[in-house]
Amino acid sequence: MVDTFKPQSLQEAVDVLSDKGAILFAGGTDLMVQRRRRGGLIPDFDRPVILIGHLKELKEISNSTREIRIGSCCTYTALLSHKAVPEILKTCVSQIASPGIRNRGTIGGNICNASPAGDTLPVLYALDASVILARDNKERVLPIEKFIKGPGTTVLEADELLTRIIIPHSSFNKFFYKKVGTRAYNALSKISFTGLALKKLRAVEDVRIAFGAVSPTVVRSKDIEAQIRGKDIDAIQKMIPEILSHYSKLIDPISDQRSNRRYRKTVSLNLLNSFLKNYML
Amino acid sequence: MKNKISSSVSRIDTPEKTGGKASYIADIKLEGMLHAKTLRSERARARIKAINCPNLPEGYFIIDRQDIPGKNSVKMLIDDQPFFADGIVNYIGEPILLAVGPEKETVNWIIENTEVEYEDILPIFSVDEAKDPAKPPIFQKNNIFAEYEIRKGNPEKAFEGSHRVFEKEYRTGYQEHIYLEPQGVIGTYDDGRVTVYGSMQCPYYVKTALIHGLGWNEDMIRVVQTTTGGAFGGKEDYPSIIAGHAVFAALKTNRPVRLVFDRAEDIQSTTKRHPSIIKIKTALDSKGTIIGMNVDITLDGGAYCGLSPVVLQRAMFVSTGAYNIPNVLVRGKVLATNNVPSGAFRGFGAPQAIFAIEMHLNSLAENLKMDPLDLKKKYLLKKGDPTVTGGKLREDVKMPRMISLLEDISGYRKKKASFHKKNARDLRGIGISLFLHGCAFTGSGERDKIKAKVKLRKEDDGKVSILVSNVDMGQGPQTTLRKIVSKILGIPFSQVLYDNPDTDRVPDSGPTVASRTVMIVGYLLSRAAEKLKTEGKTEVTEEYIQPPYIEWDQENFIGDAYPVYSWGANAVEVSIDPDTYEIKVESVWGVYDVGTPIDEQIVYGQIEGGISQGLGYATIEVMESREGGLMQRSMTDYIIASSVDFPGAEKRLIENYYDYGPFGAKCAGELPFVGVAPALAAAVQNAIGVPIEKLPVTPEYLLEAAEGGN
Ligand SMILES: Cc1cc2nc3c(=O)[nH]c(=O)nc-3n(C[C@H](O)[C@H](O)[C@H](O)COP(=O)(O)OP(=O)(O)OC[C@H]3O[C@@H](n4cnc5c(N)ncnc54)[C@H](O)[C@@H]3O)c2cc1C
Repeated sequence: MVDTFKPQSLQEAVDVLSDKGAILFAGGTDLMVQRRRRGGLIPDFDRPVILIGHLKELKEISNSTREIRIGSCCTYTALLSHKAVPEILKTCVSQIASPGIRNRGTIGGNICNASPAGDTLPVLYALDASVILARDNKERVLPIEKFIKGPGTTVLEADELLTRIIIPHSSFNKFFYKKVGTRAYNALSKISFTGLALKKLRAVEDVRIAFGAVSPTVVRSKDIEAQIRGKDIDAIQKMIPEILSHYSKLIDPISDQRSNRRYRKTVSLNLLNSFLKNYML
Repeated sequence: MKNKISSSVSRIDTPEKTGGKASYIADIKLEGMLHAKTLRSERARARIKAINCPNLPEGYFIIDRQDIPGKNSVKMLIDDQPFFADGIVNYIGEPILLAVGPEKETVNWIIENTEVEYEDILPIFSVDEAKDPAKPPIFQKNNIFAEYEIRKGNPEKAFEGSHRVFEKEYRTGYQEHIYLEPQGVIGTYDDGRVTVYGSMQCPYYVKTALIHGLGWNEDMIRVVQTTTGGAFGGKEDYPSIIAGHAVFAALKTNRPVRLVFDRAEDIQSTTKRHPSIIKIKTALDSKGTIIGMNVDITLDGGAYCGLSPVVLQRAMFVSTGAYNIPNVLVRGKVLATNNVPSGAFRGFGAPQAIFAIEMHLNSLAENLKMDPLDLKKKYLLKKGDPTVTGGKLREDVKMPRMISLLEDISGYRKKKASFHKKNARDLRGIGISLFLHGCAFTGSGERDKIKAKVKLRKEDDGKVSILVSNVDMGQGPQTTLRKIVSKILGIPFSQVLYDNPDTDRVPDSGPTVASRTVMIVGYLLSRAAEKLKTEGKTEVTEEYIQPPYIEWDQENFIGDAYPVYSWGANAVEVSIDPDTYEIKVESVWGVYDVGTPIDEQIVYGQIEGGISQGLGYATIEVMESREGGLMQRSMTDYIIASSVDFPGAEKRLIENYYDYGPFGAKCAGELPFVGVAPALAAAVQNAIGVPIEKLPVTPEYLLEAAEGGN
């Protein structure tokens, strides 16, 4: 058996963490699966565990004129019931897992787990989210795409903790979020598509496009978005084949026990096409 | 007019199950009980050169083939499967030995630190490879577990004289049972007797297997069923293997031994529904009338024979579906491969065959520019018609009435017409399937093989005990059999006792399979109850007598393949996402003839469950074997439906009294499963206009079917 700590404050959590080698345990919905052992044996936690899911400081959501700040240990259920949380994030969160898991699973856990199938990631990429990492009196802020390194890996140091997620306010009037799982709920994504746009009269003033589960990390191209931005819808209509072919080069899915490469790729582009034709324009 | 027996009562087992009070095998702890864990083969096919176990701590044991007092083979149809690998392994997951001891951690440590040295043998991963003479056969000389032929009329002549031939091939995949409660048993050894407690469908199958494995006299062996959390056929044959394991361990250690699987182990090493390849050729005359049919069925039996020959027979017996087709040749084969053994699963061969014939007729109808339903109606079996085995249908076939009811409630015709005019982004479809299910054992099996015996006994306090070997695995006999007996005796339901079967107490009334419990065992109980009432005895034993009309030649498969059939018709409506090819089931309808329902609510429960399981089989339950290893190894990857995936079904029952069933009841357990997949597939075919020839119908498959190529 390993030591388990239940700190009373964020400061205490950070202090214990700097003792090194501890496993941060928020909702535990990823950890308990990853570390489970067969046949009724206790899970395999090989290092001390720090419980953080109960810490008030990490469960706060604050809203300012510029941005919304979400505590890393906010559960999905908490996000769904807060009015400042962006609609597209709520749409995404409402399709994660099932009510029981949404009561425990946290947004910070989803980010730090860095799974290619982590559902909040493409939405957070699309919303230009950043994360705040804390250690012993020091903090750093990173854009989400700099935080995630690859499947299951982040730049988080052993003594660091994710405290908050910052989402700058931005306005959109076109949304398209689609999660393709195997069943209605409680299924990991084969593909997810996030599309956001701000359309004024005939011009598209802002656009964000992100794909989840079809490459080692989220696919988002600020270059292609820049090419679309500011154009009028007739021009964009003409660009669709070109846009599809750009993304086609970036989307590099695998075949596995849940789906295959061809499906993931074709359907990603179908969804993009649908967003451009049926939702954005 | 509704028969009074059909009015629903509260299920007797509901309070203890929903209240968490029911005691399943994993809840039972006996004094001094040891835990067991199985070392399994990691190779699909290999010779075991050596097994190196770590030094065992005090109180820990290894149990292997040397600890089997009798024969190292599990008694089934052909006894080719060993309890523990006999020098050779034939599938990934095959049991090699057990580690047993007081602490799970240490038992686990022993398994993890035991090394097996293998020498690979050229493996066979598919039915095509099974026919390849370059690979050393797994089973006998040709890898064929069973091969049969059925003829009706003169198929050769029909094909010779045909104007044209319509030919298609259909494939279906694995299905895993995912009963809520994984496999588990406890074995004990006391005073020279062994007892097995376990989650099972067939206590006497387990007993027979132990008689052989132990080489003991039958009165030294006792088998007790514990409250069983689902089975679906998965606990028909498999418990015999692990009952052997637990008992051999109990003998060696002189302590009770419990062997309970966790989910992943259960998924990876227990039986599955047989994957199939079915080719159908139809001979047509110049007017497009069907004059003959050839059906060729190949099943992947996996590494050991198990129940495969009977699964094949049952597939063949319904291979022309609910139709009277003249001049038929049906050929069937089950082949051995180095895949996990296939076994019993609700429907038992029929779902594969019904899918193939229904889809074949759907495509043929499109080819003939007819609505599938109109084509099917033309050939529907009716009273007096010959079945595919040349038996005579003696029962009233109520299908015409059932079909018109189904057309009404589903709005099939109108929808079919309106879905025709849709645009490319509005993919909607509706499909219908017609089907039947043979009740109980095939042919004279009930008389010649099963020889069921039931007993009723009046206890001192006036209560009456039902003594049968059939189990409640969730399907309801604790309630329905009590209802039958209490109604006849005119005593309250609560005055009838029916404990989980214990072979020391109950006669062998046969296995809990083939939808036979109410129709066969319930009927025997009804007769016993009549005698108990009129003859004033305290105990009545009733034995199976075959209904006089049954004629069956088991050698040549000629005659009445089943005592009677239950019938059904399904309609399914779907919409398909034009971007992702995801199928959404919008509505499901079902009309059924199960004779007299002994409790409507229980039959509706079977229908809802069967539909949900059938839609899962048809769409999301994907299981594939790659080089002998299953790709979907846990419930994260093997997806079954949840309550929000499919809508509830609109369901109707049509009464049709059967003289040899209790209160007129026929079979109901498997029927609701068998017709679902073809109705779903027909709806998808209607929606996207591409023939569906494979189960499950995944979005990945639809993408390929719709866009073609690679
Ligand atoms: C049945 C089921 C269904 C699921 N369905 C989905 C789904 O649909 N979509 C989806 O994306 N995910 C799904 N998941 C995965 C999981 O629920 C989510 O990823 C969830 O957000 C994880 O959060 P948690 O708080 O439970 O993480 P935990 O398990 O507590 O932690 C996950 C990882 O993050 C680290 N960590 C957690 N918090 C911090 C922090 N503040 N600072 C630094 N490191 C931290 C932990 O050390 C661990 O490595 C599912 C899981 C289950 C069991």
